[in-house]
Amino acid sequence: MAEILVVAEHRQQKLADITLQMLSKGSQLADQSGAELLAVVIGKNVDIYAQELARWADRVIIFKKDELEGSLAEPSQMMLSSIIKQRRPKLVLIGHSSFGMDLAPSLAIELGVPVITDCIDVTIVSDNITVTRSIYNGKLNAVYTFVPSETVIVTGRVGEFEVKERNLRGQIEEIDYTMQENIEYKKFEGYIEQKIGIVDITQADIVVSIGRGIKEKENIEIAQELAELLGGVVACSRPIVDYGWLPSEYQVGLSGKTVTPKLYLALGISGAFQHVVGLKGSNMVIAINKDPRAPIFNIADYGVVDDIYKVVPALIQKIRELKD
Amino acid sequence: MDVVVCIKRVPDTADVVEIDASGNDIETDGLAFKINDWDEYALEAAVQLTEKQGGSIIAITVGPKEWDDVLRRALAIGADRAIRIDQDMVTADCYAVAKVLEALIRNLSYDLVLFGAQSEDFGSAQLGVMVAELLGIPHASLVVSLQVDQTTARIKRELEAGTLEAYAVELPALLTIQTGINQPRYISMAGIKRAMSKELQVISLSDLDLTQETLSPTVMLEKLELPPKDKKAELISGSPEESAEQLARILQNSGIF
Repeated sequence: MAEILVVAEHRQQKLADITLQMLSKGSQLADQSGAELLAVVIGKNVDIYAQELARWADRVIIFKKDELEGSLAEPSQMMLSSIIKQRRPKLVLIGHSSFGMDLAPSLAIELGVPVITDCIDVTIVSDNITVTRSIYNGKLNAVYTFVPSETVIVTGRVGEFEVKERNLRGQIEEIDYTMQENIEYKKFEGYIEQKIGIVDITQADIVVSIGRGIKEKENIEIAQELAELLGGVVACSRPIVDYGWLPSEYQVGLSGKTVTPKLYLALGISGAFQHVVGLKGSNMVIAINKDPRAPIFNIADYGVVDDIYKVVPALIQKIRELKD
Repeated sequence: MDVVVCIKRVPDTADVVEIDASGNDIETDGLAFKINDWDEYALEAAVQLTEKQGGSIIAITVGPKEWDDVLRRALAIGADRAIRIDQDMVTADCYAVAKVLEALIRNLSYDLVLFGAQSEDFGSAQLGVMVAELLGIPHASLVVSLQVDQTTARIKRELEAGTLEAYAVELPALLTIQTGINQPRYISMAGIKRAMSKELQVISLSDLDLTQETLSPTVMLEKLELPPKDKKAELISGSPEESAEQLARILQNSGIF
């Protein structure tokens, strides 16, 4: 029977959210196309994930090796290429996470199979796999197909695929495998956790968030003023941290914090998915941005297409008036 | 420390991007082009390394004549020489581009190959890692910290939610550079002047013993389309004062203040 293989990702005793998203998409595709879903997990003590994976997958393959630490792109590649060569799944699903970015392209080259990364949709219609990618910073979508290949690799964008609980009891199989190569050329030296800052933006009810559109460091002050007026905190998108204008604990998004405030006010933020993924749980999103085509307007409840320096001071003024 | 940096020219995505008549490319008329943001960080990382440890930097790209401007920029930032492979591969699949780059890099002297972690246009974040695998050298993507000695690159790479992981990677290696790793320098007039006298070499696919046929695609771009608007913001219009007034009322009515 044809197979769809999901590569499970885990870190520090937890399965990654993206893995549940890929399992959900994978099981839906498997149902539609009459395939079996296979989940593969590799690393130290990975048997703890077996039961959870077996709720989605018809078959779970476990490869336990205590020496394996870190993101495991290289040992994963060795293991997976051996499993894929043997089983020839028609589709391999990997998360487009930090782990997936390190793994999927080199795995595809080693196997000589096509790969498309960072997909926001995957469909299988009469055995043809079609994927959609979001390009030009969310302004366009691109639809791709593959040249005929026994196996193709697809990586899925974090947060794009809904998690749908399943209650299968897949078969769990632990395999033994001797690493042909000792990975001396890339040694894991540990995790570095973000230091805890003074302000915890994840606890705030009101988040006034700034992006590249703020233009000058000095303009952070008006965002601060608005945040204080509303009893909230200032946060930001990645460029502000890259410029060194705010410390990294203020960053919302994939590589930063996930926030769920009552109000998320996005000032000069274009809405790259890496940012949006961190604010999806907000109750209300208001965006002010000069660019009417900025993707932030696709997820905001209210939008103002204008200059933030003109609107924000006026907004501060109006809120003061209404408060009195 | 010899460093190869692979760079790309991209449209400024702050601009409006339109689909052209063919349906699978964009309208380039009136678009502003620039060096890919991530690649500036990669170039800066290379310059900082060679300033400290000596060695040279070669900037390379694959593209038509107009792409010389990003190579000139790389030379102004501090690359010693530049090579353009004269082939328009903007819509080609990454695998084909990776094969072309590998064919060139294989014959260069290098300790490190640097890429931007992704491009601003297609953003597939896979080209560098593909090239590493083709070259048969170790790689790490999304690098946010880099220190190099004679034999080893000590790197930190970005994971999710603020966590980093540290690795010691044996040289030669390929790293893809994440934004924020450094503060790219402003280009000085002196840098621009120096760039004009530096070598910018143009080579063809046949110089690399490659033909169009050996670069057959593995994936096909079927069409471009506008993203569906699942939820479109209710747009508030008027003067800044009028918009501010409406916003303030929305906030008040929602109990924000």
